[in-house]
Amino acid sequence: MTDSKVILEMKGIGKTFPGVKALEGVNLTIREGEVLALLGENGAGKSTLIKILSGAYTRDEGEIFFEGSQVDVKRPADAEALGISTIYQEFNLAPNLTIAENIFLGHLPMKGAVVDWPLVRSRSRELLDSLDVDLGVDTITGTLSVAQQQMVEIAKALNRKTRVLIMDEPSAVLSEKDLDNLFAVVRKLRDSGIGIVYISHRMKEIFALADEVTVLKDGKFVASRRITDVTMDDLVKLMIGRDLEDVYPKREANPGELLLEVKNLSQSHLAKDVSFQLHAGEIVGFAGITGSGRTEAMRVLFGADKATGGTMTLKGKPYKPRSPRDAINQGVALVTEDRKRQGLLLKLQVYFNTTVSGLDRLTKGGVLQLKTERQLVNDWIKNLRIKTPGPDFMVVNMSGGNQQKVILARWLSLGIKVFIMDEPTRGIDVGSKAEIYQIMADLAAQGVGIIMISSELPEVLGMSDRIMVMREGKIAKELTREEASEETIMHYAVGGDAA
Amino acid sequence: MSAIATTLTKNRASLGKAILSSPIIGPLAALLLACIFFAVMTPNFMTGPNFSLIMQQVMVVGVLAIGQTLVILTAGIDLSNGAVMALSGVLMASLAAQHHLNPVLAILLGIGIAVIFGAVNGGLLTGINLPPFIVTLGTYSIAYALTRIYTTATIDKLPKELTALGSTFNIGGTEITFGTLLMLLLYVITWFALKYTKAGRSVFAVGDNPEAARLAGIKTNRVLIGVYTVAAFTYGIAALLLVSRTGVGDPNAGATANMDSITAVVVGGTSMFGGRGSIVGTFIGALIVGVFRNGLQLMGVPAIYQVLITGVLVIAAVSIDQLTHRNKR
Repeated sequence: MTDSKVILEMKGIGKTFPGVKALEGVNLTIREGEVLALLGENGAGKSTLIKILSGAYTRDEGEIFFEGSQVDVKRPADAEALGISTIYQEFNLAPNLTIAENIFLGHLPMKGAVVDWPLVRSRSRELLDSLDVDLGVDTITGTLSVAQQQMVEIAKALNRKTRVLIMDEPSAVLSEKDLDNLFAVVRKLRDSGIGIVYISHRMKEIFALADEVTVLKDGKFVASRRITDVTMDDLVKLMIGRDLEDVYPKREANPGELLLEVKNLSQSHLAKDVSFQLHAGEIVGFAGITGSGRTEAMRVLFGADKATGGTMTLKGKPYKPRSPRDAINQGVALVTEDRKRQGLLLKLQVYFNTTVSGLDRLTKGGVLQLKTERQLVNDWIKNLRIKTPGPDFMVVNMSGGNQQKVILARWLSLGIKVFIMDEPTRGIDVGSKAEIYQIMADLAAQGVGIIMISSELPEVLGMSDRIMVMREGKIAKELTREEASEETIMHYAVGGDAA
Repeated sequence: MSAIATTLTKNRASLGKAILSSPIIGPLAALLLACIFFAVMTPNFMTGPNFSLIMQQVMVVGVLAIGQTLVILTAGIDLSNGAVMALSGVLMASLAAQHHLNPVLAILLGIGIAVIFGAVNGGLLTGINLPPFIVTLGTYSIAYALTRIYTTATIDKLPKELTALGSTFNIGGTEITFGTLLMLLLYVITWFALKYTKAGRSVFAVGDNPEAARLAGIKTNRVLIGVYTVAAFTYGIAALLLVSRTGVGDPNAGATANMDSITAVVVGGTSMFGGRGSIVGTFIGALIVGVFRNGLQLMGVPAIYQVLITGVLVIAAVSIDQLTHRNKR
């Protein structure tokens, strides 16, 4: 095993919410100078567990030991006193304050009756330097990129003498480019003796960073293993109980008639001279780093933004959508990248979200047919195996995978011909991912043309018939399935040779 | 047999659950408690004529609150409705009584000016992307000023068409005004539209998240302009009800009407953040405010204390709503 000193140990942790046993008998061991990866599908109980550890929830069962002695973590202040810091996906930063002010938020040092600003600034400088962050301490936090804000969060945690740092899917919000930097920082913190709990869906990261993995499933402890003792397939099996090869459905590319032709499409300086074709039954993957213009180009296709140049034809006819409604009426749908802000009506129900784009079909003589609607929604819940107590459930309370299925149901019920999917499986667990890939394969088999934007290279390679690599607003290269590999895609995405 | 029994219990259980989880359960309970309290405290409260009186007192604010509910459901706010109502009422009274216009035409023109204000509100907030608070704060002042520029005197001697809705008919010894019926009818129509039409769904969608609604194919701007215009139409109707109830066109009327309409909406459980609420809740909210004012009046509590208690009511209602929603997580 290992001889690293144990900092914190959780034993037999249980938590019950009204009607749901969220956690049962969960064990967790955090060691000094090690990265512990916490794995599990959405709803496996990872969030509940870290909320217990950070004092946001209190446990119902089990014991917590800190450096060998039993402790009680009842509120966030208890966790803070023990040196447990958590960086959630949604950052806890005041956007209008400076970096230094955020780092010391709530802990401003005083010199007599006034804040000791020189100390605040010099200490912030040290922290930023230790993380290799090249930003002024007086920079307003709101103007920073997501990756930079994440570093401010880390600096904030370090400023509080952190022993255990919990990172909840820190990579989910980052582009591939920023990942290397994050990894370097995590390794540096580990080497300084901090125990790190790292949550991620991405296997590659876990093998790159973790010393040990703990797997949860359905709120129960499955296993803890040293990373050197397991393969990726082992982990997937522990998480979902099946093999990785089954994640991407086997399908033969069988392109039919030309559906969509885009010629020299431009959207201000964000997308330039984008040209490509999409055939019926085809899945075309769009790869590239964040900001390469993929989303911007596709928003034009969906009528969400106006083109500044270029032409499009849909099934041979000129296509120039004036609004999303116009695009939808012509059979084009967009699954947005940011599900919560642009896709879902978060505080409304499953049924509302499912039928919101197709109410005309459910209206007879100006009156909505609520019974027909309910039947339709129930059918989709069954067809797509959406896990929900019923059509009246609020989507905000559902897991990412099930939320995405609701969005898919919305479009599937309309008989869409061209499906644009922007990061269709972002923040979704492996089990739901496989189901969404299967839905995509089925759609393609039915003659739907799919444009898939994805920053996850295995997904691009596993699903696409053809791959367009974009860079700086332009299509850098078109790759066939045979030509494409993670290396070739990255090569064109970050700009090796000219296209 | 037992299968039927099980189904029955199941249905009853789910019905009970539906009622308990309904957002109007809180306001409804508050209304019942208030009624019981005043029934115990004053002998005159629980009588047919008194209920008819409460409805008459609630009528104007109740109709204003219909429009306000639609606006607040879109995550907006309309500060102009009391002032717009006063302008609309003065205009219809003046046109009919002083300029001897056909009374029906005068009513339509009065409602028309309200509708124009609504369209301007909607146009400004979608066209220039101004926040509803700012736009309606501006139009509130404009409507308020226009009313007083037009006249500072109360207009009386109105033709009977303008006061018709204030007249009554008799059911079982209780006098009921036609205006009350019109208010109830407007509530039913709005309830139906919100539940059974695409337009109604769009109001909730835009209130929940305008960008997501747009990307789901909803014409967000059109919905917002429509909502502010329809809302203003109800302010025009409220103006007619006000004129028919008081028998005059009063430029100083409706001074507290705007705040009262917001109070009714909020007490009725509609969220100021949009997307969540119900028109039935607003009706109950308007009744709660009406019952409190009426009951306190019967108990001989001075008017200014009634206002004070209304303030406490608003904060209490929203606090309870907040706490129950926090616990639901």
